[in-house]
Amino acid sequence: MNPSIPPSTAEYGGDEVSAIVLDPGYSTTRAGFAGEDTPKSLIPTCYGKYTYDGQEKLIFGDDIFVTPRPGLAINNPMGRDGIVEDWDMAERVWEYSFTSRLTGPKPGNPLQNGLNDAHESELPIEMEGVETEEKPLADSPLLMSEPGWNPTKAREKTIEIAMEKWGTPAFYLARNGVLAAFAAGKASALVIDIGASNISVTPVHDGMILKRGVQHSPLGGDYISSQLRALFKLNTPQPISLTPHYLISSKVAVDAGQPPQVKYKTFAPEKAPDATYRALLEERTLCEFKECVVQVWPGPNKLSAAGPNGVSNEDLAKASPGRPFEFPDGYNQVFGVDRYRVVESLFDAKAAISDPESVSPAPTQAQTVPELIKNALNGVDVDVRPHLLANVVVTGASSLLYGFTDRLNQELMQMYPGPRVRISAPGNTAERKFGSWIGGSILASLGTFHQLWISKKEFEEHGPNIVEKRCK
Amino acid sequence: MPPFKDEHILILAPGSQVTLAQLGLPESFTPARFRFPTRMFPAEKKGEFEPYKIRERRQEVPVSNGTEAPKEDVEMKDADSATQQETVKTETTAKQPEASANTEQKNENSQPVDGEPTDSAAVKPSTIEVYYEEDVTSDEGAIYPVQNGRIVDWPCFFALLTHVHNTLSPPFHTPIMLIAEPVWSARDRETITQFVFEKFKTPAFCMMDSALAVCYGYGTSTATVVDVGKDKVDVTAVTDFAVSEHGRGLALEGCGGDYMTDRLVELLGSKGFSREMCEQLKRSNITELLPPGTPLPGAAATSRQGVNPAATASTGAQNGSTNDTVPRGPGEGTQTDAGGNGEEEDEGVLDVAAIVSGNTSEFLANREKEKAEKASTKKGSTDQNAKPVRLPNSKKEKATFQFEEYVRIEAEKEASNGPGRYIRQTREIEVGVERFLAATPKQNSGERLTSGLLEDIATQIHHTILAVPDATKRSELWDSLIVVGNGSKIKGFTASLLGAITQKYILSPSATMFTSEIPSNFSTPLPTGGTNTPAPSGQPGPMNHPAGHGVNPLLVAATHSNNPASSSMPPGTPLMDPASISHHHRSTGHSQTPTSVKTLRPPEYFSEWKEQANTNAPGAAGPGGPGMASGGHGMEEAVFLGAQVASKVVFVLDQGLSKGFMTRVEYNENGPSAIHDYVM
Repeated sequence: MNPSIPPSTAEYGGDEVSAIVLDPGYSTTRAGFAGEDTPKSLIPTCYGKYTYDGQEKLIFGDDIFVTPRPGLAINNPMGRDGIVEDWDMAERVWEYSFTSRLTGPKPGNPLQNGLNDAHESELPIEMEGVETEEKPLADSPLLMSEPGWNPTKAREKTIEIAMEKWGTPAFYLARNGVLAAFAAGKASALVIDIGASNISVTPVHDGMILKRGVQHSPLGGDYISSQLRALFKLNTPQPISLTPHYLISSKVAVDAGQPPQVKYKTFAPEKAPDATYRALLEERTLCEFKECVVQVWPGPNKLSAAGPNGVSNEDLAKASPGRPFEFPDGYNQVFGVDRYRVVESLFDAKAAISDPESVSPAPTQAQTVPELIKNALNGVDVDVRPHLLANVVVTGASSLLYGFTDRLNQELMQMYPGPRVRISAPGNTAERKFGSWIGGSILASLGTFHQLWISKKEFEEHGPNIVEKRCK
Repeated sequence: MPPFKDEHILILAPGSQVTLAQLGLPESFTPARFRFPTRMFPAEKKGEFEPYKIRERRQEVPVSNGTEAPKEDVEMKDADSATQQETVKTETTAKQPEASANTEQKNENSQPVDGEPTDSAAVKPSTIEVYYEEDVTSDEGAIYPVQNGRIVDWPCFFALLTHVHNTLSPPFHTPIMLIAEPVWSARDRETITQFVFEKFKTPAFCMMDSALAVCYGYGTSTATVVDVGKDKVDVTAVTDFAVSEHGRGLALEGCGGDYMTDRLVELLGSKGFSREMCEQLKRSNITELLPPGTPLPGAAATSRQGVNPAATASTGAQNGSTNDTVPRGPGEGTQTDAGGNGEEEDEGVLDVAAIVSGNTSEFLANREKEKAEKASTKKGSTDQNAKPVRLPNSKKEKATFQFEEYVRIEAEKEASNGPGRYIRQTREIEVGVERFLAATPKQNSGERLTSGLLEDIATQIHHTILAVPDATKRSELWDSLIVVGNGSKIKGFTASLLGAITQKYILSPSATMFTSEIPSNFSTPLPTGGTNTPAPSGQPGPMNHPAGHGVNPLLVAATHSNNPASSSMPPGTPLMDPASISHHHRSTGHSQTPTSVKTLRPPEYFSEWKEQANTNAPGAAGPGGPGMASGGHGMEEAVFLGAQVASKVVFVLDQGLSKGFMTRVEYNENGPSAIHDYVM
């Protein structure tokens, strides 16, 4: 090619827009383009709210972790059971999740225009003239996920937001259990999802959930955090106090078990961030603790049971080397058998560390993982049970606790010694964390999926209830 | 498609302040050959833009004048004299550029807004004509299309790209490498891709993330890149050449170079310093960030800057909170008074200098000499300790920097329709220890409870690295910090940042070593390595679990019973078996980080980059002046070095085999959204 001759003017003519996949959870919201292997946008579902200069301000995204604001309070639009409670804010948070990294803010976006109510009431009037131009998703189809126990009302509200507020041309709502099964390459599976606020067991058969079998309980990552707090309170020789980084000015290295030498940061009382902010940042430290220290007793049998040769499992656990952890204030300690105890109650409710002040009530045996699985299988047809047990899919970030799948395997083999039990748990951290998003990404990029989209026209014709008929 | 040649590759790196550009890769990679200010001026026609401020003026015009110089609308980095350039168009004559080399773009932003150029020729009367002048020194009414990394004005941004493209005028067979700001959204990238392909008709296009480009520049696959810009900071963890998108610090606002200027204004505003003075002070070589715990010169030991407060916690020092940590000055007493005196005296000098017009430079030089003598004698008299002048800056209680400004010449103010004449003049200003406090917490921190620039960046780094999913990479990320961006040019910035991280986040050795609870047959990992317990698989999860691969564990246990470490059914007394213990332990994932924090060394084989260490700051106070910043390591714009390395690899060596760039054909087939498959 001669560099001085202009190229022929063949222009790009098509208009292929890939769909956006939005996977909202209690702890994080994932969004990205269909066909990609990880979500481009990962934001905390909670948002910050504070007042500055007499104006109420909101912050979204990772920013809330980094710079505290005066009087900052943290809220979560999701309820503990994974169902949206505050629809207005859920819409904002979700919208932020795709406008921040994917589509970019558009003019007229409520995130940009001062965020006051007076303005919003004017919005519908302005909207009549410009219609789809101003809406953030005017040219992207949207696939969203939902928990298996999402009520009809919430599903209808979701499609209303997508169609009316965001202006998406096509929409589909899929169960996150089904999507996680797809991510593992299975159309039928028993999906065990260990999330932040919930753990759930979802039987999926031929791409459909078996609704009677869906089980969930609140023993997720947040429950483990509350167990950790209980453990720190009971710690000997002194209870461990949890101080997040933002309250620390600087620290000095101390020996293990020694009281911390730390300079705290002080905020004027009228400016100090809210207790919810502190809780959020404490959760960051607890999360680090879970990653570095916490371990699930791998089995066989419970931690409290005796091993095959009469030595109790607890003694065996004690014999294994401890894991050190340093808290933000510099206090550090080696955690021995305690690091097994904090998660043992996921399998054995009696092993829970009791803490009367905790927000999470003590677990019941019916809420533990083995019981959920048992109930889920009891809720489905006898014929599909062996098939489901041969396709157990483990997903959710809290399932990354070390030893979790080992223990799960042991429990399953004890409960169902006959049938072949096969656990499928991706080793890749991202695949485990974003299982349902990845499933959505696969689904929405399939050519055959296109007939399943609910188009804007259909929505206008049939109303929001169409989601009940089409997205089963 | 024929292969691309080195000399055809076009590299563009738009930033909030400066857009770096270069056509062709030199033999040995150099700093960017062209530096365009990232701004445009609205043209007469709405929606169109001009690179320079255009002024219209009707006035009497001379027939001709002698000096003609080629129009040079882009500042060459090696241009050395500072004069003004002006392009004059008249209705009757052709373009009549009358200019000499210009370097003023460098500090246009730091110039007085009301600057008007001198038209030295407009004296002889002839006919009345309309002038359109390109006022290259003015930034009045300028539109900055990129703010905090975000593109806020698309038409203007595209006009800028077009201007840069036209100026460099590459041939058609030119692949384009564009450095993308981390904060650009996917849709932004698509829009730019579409523009580049359809407007520039480029045969191949590559859009590269700036953090990744820095990694290419440093020749590393894993690093934490801290890019300190004008008013924002990007913190990116890059592992194995993959940018970790989650938890990335995107355009953290209020953390760039402007923070330090603001802080200096806060400290010195009451002493009559303007913002412009503070900006130049920040860029001068006397401004420094001292490592935490270094006592300020001349100050009492109690008013140290950034001393580790925890160490002195028992003394009850109150320097932990945001408001009272900063010594307001060298302390009450004689020193402050002396500072005041010095300033007044300096201003006296200024008044003398201000009436000196351009042609009496000799006189000016004399003045300067006198003044310097005066300053030195004064210093000797006020400084009781009689310190020798050769003390390092960090030990000197006071220091002077050269302040440059444009002053309108008084005598011509009366000539109302004539253009004002301006003279660039420098004067020395003396500053006390405030110059070491540029990164300390601001008093008026707005709506943030910030605790200072460095601590905010440190927090973001901690957050970003903690969010990296591959936990085994984290300690490596802490040990390979790269601080780039012109905001980090201040002397001591990187060291102070490391100090801030150490104070707050570094784990004590006892938390990372194992104590006596370890069985004696267990080998204690060294605490220095940082990765003392790496999981062999690189994943904390039990991916090696046989069941995960679809094999009946019972079968595995039966066939591998002699190999306890590989079985999930531990035979016998599993945890008494040392092999099993180590297996168990290693798989627990990773240990906490950071045990240490280090910066990566810049590559040393690009001699041009080493030489330019300090001469290339955008808008640094004047060309070659003695007040130049001298703190940086010269790699602040490593992003451009990386862009050249990557261009060479992507366009010339690899030729697209590994999908490093998007070709025109692919664009025509798949459209702009396909760029995401190529975004590096």
